[in-house]
Amino acid sequence: MSSARFVRPSPPAGSSAKKDRTTARTATSLAPTLATAAAKLRRRFGARLLEEKESFGELTFVIAPGDWMRVLAFCKTAPDLAFDQLDCLMGDHLPERADTPFAVLAHLTSHVHGHRLRVKTFLAEGGPLPTVTGLWPSAGFDERETWEMFGIVFQDHPDLRRLLTAEDFRGFPLRKDFPLEGNVGGRVRTDLRGKI
Amino acid sequence: MNDAIDSATIHAREADSTSPDTPPRPNVEQLRERKARTRQHLETGGDIMTISMGPQHPSTHGVFQMVLDLDGEVIVDLRPEIGNLHRGVEKLCEHRTYHQIIPLTDRLDYNSAFAMNHGFCEAAEKLMGVEVPPRARYIRTIAHELSRLANHILWLGVHIMDLGTQTFFVICFRDREYVLDLFEMLTGARLTHSFARIGGVAKDLPDGFEQRCRKVIEFLPKRIAEYERIVKHNRIYYKRAKNVGIFTSEDCYAWRVTGPTLRAAGVARDLRKDEPYAAYDEVDFEVAVEYNADVYDRFLVRMKEMRESCKIIRQCLDGLPGGPYLARDAAHSLPVKRDVLRDSAAMIQDFYQVFQGPQAPKGEVYRAIEVPKGEMGVYIRSEGGAKPARVRFTTPSFYHGQAMPALSIGETVPDLVAIFASVDVVLGDCDK
Amino acid sequence: MSDPVAQLVFLIIKAVAMPLIIITMVAFAIYFERKFAGFFQARVGPTYLGPWGSLQSFGDVFKLLSKEDVIPLRSDKPVFKLAPYIAFIPAFLVMAVLPFGPVGGEPNLFGHRFDYVIADFDAGVVLFLAMGAIAVYGVVLAGWSSNSNYSLLGGLRAGAQMISYELAMGFSVAGVMVMAGSMSLVEIVDGQKGAFWDWYWIPQIVGGIVFFIASIAELNRTPFDLAEAEQELVAGHLTEYSGMRWGMFYLAEYVNMIVVSGIVSTLYFGGWRAPFESWNVIPGPIWLLLKICALIFIYMWIRWTIFRYRYSQLMSIGWKVLLPLALANLAVTAVVVSVVG
Repeated sequence: MSSARFVRPSPPAGSSAKKDRTTARTATSLAPTLATAAAKLRRRFGARLLEEKESFGELTFVIAPGDWMRVLAFCKTAPDLAFDQLDCLMGDHLPERADTPFAVLAHLTSHVHGHRLRVKTFLAEGGPLPTVTGLWPSAGFDERETWEMFGIVFQDHPDLRRLLTAEDFRGFPLRKDFPLEGNVGGRVRTDLRGKI
Repeated sequence: MNDAIDSATIHAREADSTSPDTPPRPNVEQLRERKARTRQHLETGGDIMTISMGPQHPSTHGVFQMVLDLDGEVIVDLRPEIGNLHRGVEKLCEHRTYHQIIPLTDRLDYNSAFAMNHGFCEAAEKLMGVEVPPRARYIRTIAHELSRLANHILWLGVHIMDLGTQTFFVICFRDREYVLDLFEMLTGARLTHSFARIGGVAKDLPDGFEQRCRKVIEFLPKRIAEYERIVKHNRIYYKRAKNVGIFTSEDCYAWRVTGPTLRAAGVARDLRKDEPYAAYDEVDFEVAVEYNADVYDRFLVRMKEMRESCKIIRQCLDGLPGGPYLARDAAHSLPVKRDVLRDSAAMIQDFYQVFQGPQAPKGEVYRAIEVPKGEMGVYIRSEGGAKPARVRFTTPSFYHGQAMPALSIGETVPDLVAIFASVDVVLGDCDK
Repeated sequence: MSDPVAQLVFLIIKAVAMPLIIITMVAFAIYFERKFAGFFQARVGPTYLGPWGSLQSFGDVFKLLSKEDVIPLRSDKPVFKLAPYIAFIPAFLVMAVLPFGPVGGEPNLFGHRFDYVIADFDAGVVLFLAMGAIAVYGVVLAGWSSNSNYSLLGGLRAGAQMISYELAMGFSVAGVMVMAGSMSLVEIVDGQKGAFWDWYWIPQIVGGIVFFIASIAELNRTPFDLAEAEQELVAGHLTEYSGMRWGMFYLAEYVNMIVVSGIVSTLYFGGWRAPFESWNVIPGPIWLLLKICALIFIYMWIRWTIFRYRYSQLMSIGWKVLLPLALANLAVTAVVVSVVG
């Protein structure tokens, strides 16, 4: 039971929120540790980082699906980055993108440094994308839900089946072309009246 | 919604959907390995019984199903099955304006509904760049800490009831009534508050609320001391909770387990201190940390959190600033209701906000706050307009339920009950 | 009327009246359990049916009788139907040997001797222990015949628990038997002449406490109610029972509680004797009733206050704590009695 005694380092003086209210609330500059982490990522992957965006105080990197595993493994293991918690792995559907309408986003958090990162990739229908359950076991349910809602397949996932919807559910609900009321219609089976 | 559907329509619709639905075959290697493990276990004399604990079960806090493989009383394998309470909140959010999403968030973790409202509003305000006025921030803090008290009192009652006494459960619920009465006074509802608004809160503190709130937070620490007296030094509880369900900090990071479970493992991570929001950076409180990472420590952490909540509420009431309770932001927040009937500009703003909705800029945000059960993150992607393009709630119970195998394989069934109660899973939170 | 005929008439009266009285006591014991639970939990309990809700149990009985009789499809139907009775009937047999008033002596009713016991059995204590063992069958067979995993687990747990605690009970009772020099309940009460300080609860205090705790385990009440641990096993061996069959188990639990309270008061608290010699004008049955009620209150008090043990801890208490204490008690009693005489 190592590292059971762990106390968070106090936040750096510059980002102390008590001092300047407005910057804390609508922070537009990155924390210094995150800037270092971003620099390290850029140095390591260079052109593989297709896009880098900074908005609302958050940093987002867009990468290609082939680099998914590599980049995330680096994010977890590199000491300057040390993203030890996968807050959320989710999917998204952008029908306006014709060739790669699906997106998979990974929100990472570092307990050691206290910074956050978003890594994004765009895919065509069906994926596939390698699973990150080897890095963060919490991705198990996340990836199941992403498959279930969007149809993105995760290779080598230990148990890829429907999570939240019924076993016999057909379709991928969170896609934009899936209607809100579903495809099976109302539950009122008037055709079965008198027969059951 | 359609009414009379006959089977022809249904068959036609089902035949229409062409999406390839079958998942890829599971990994053959993993299946073989699992089979070999089971066979080896059977050959060495073990006899595995598969039991489904749930979804209807008095101790699973909702419709959470755990399929257990038991060897006698020891758990060999545990497979959690969730989804019985899935209501499609994320899909619904895409068809509603930001104001209309707030009542949906109530139903996520219904034991601490305001905390969910608050989380969503923080994310939406970050996206739209709305500055919440000081009084609203303080009121939000008060309501958030009250919901933390309500949640922890309920948790305590249910946890002890799972270990055998129903008396304690009823006593805790009686004390929870005081908090729920405060909520009813403040928001109009006991359980599903829908109190936070984009830019502030729905109403100002009513007359008499402050006195009543002070009385309650003066009374509750004595009750908390009594709970500690009954439970903490209770020999039976000690034997059932000490060194049971140990989950170290690495396990917590790997399984995305946050909140009291993480703090019981020695990690002083509390988003109220690390990424402050509302008025948490203006009040003084301690983060409850314990170092043994077992069920007993999670109990101690929650007791301390309850005491700190009372402290925070007292400080907020003492330092409550004056001013508006809703931001005067015509593009994004509703106006104060009193002005709507008198001032034409406010009436137009009200009309616009209700019928059109707040206009958010293009972009995506992720904001996490410390709700009573752990860390809840809200991701909003907007393509401009009043309705978000994608909303995702990363709720703590989803991951706590997923971590159940790691927490409990190797333990016995009664310990499983204690562990499951200590990680605090609520199905509304889990299934969204 | 000649004596055998009179004795036969008395026997029939006692044998008919006793179960009726017990069942009525059970009805009110259930009501009081719920009322006490309410008061312990800062609420009022049943108040609707009858004055202060006192007719609640009768309403419950009607409700249970009107429920659908659900028998699982693949269960062992004859055993399934028989199990509640196996749990229910042994307690009544024990009541047959429990004295509720003075036995033997002068004719006191219409010129004939009315003994305040249905059967003055020489080995009443052994009968009690034997009936306790048979009641285990009821529980285990209920769990087994239901053909359900939960019921099986619950039934086996209950069976193992009851058997373990029966040993501790038996040895602690042996201490009383040594002091009284007899296994007959009538003679044990007769041996407790005098005021309440002459009863066996003072010399046998250790054995008495062991017996009391073991009896809670025999009755499957909290903190030893693992068999029906609602939160873990839904209802253990009772999971598949519904309606009046479940009601029979429920009644069985309360009948057992009343009977065991009767046994405890007989063995340790003087049975039908009054606490002070001069108070014996009030008849014996009333005193026994009062003692039974006090003990029932204590059982209920414990149930609504104390947490439940984990199963392994429960078994270790039975084997490692209570059994050695009971054995030690027996040894010390035997030595003292043989020395003092």
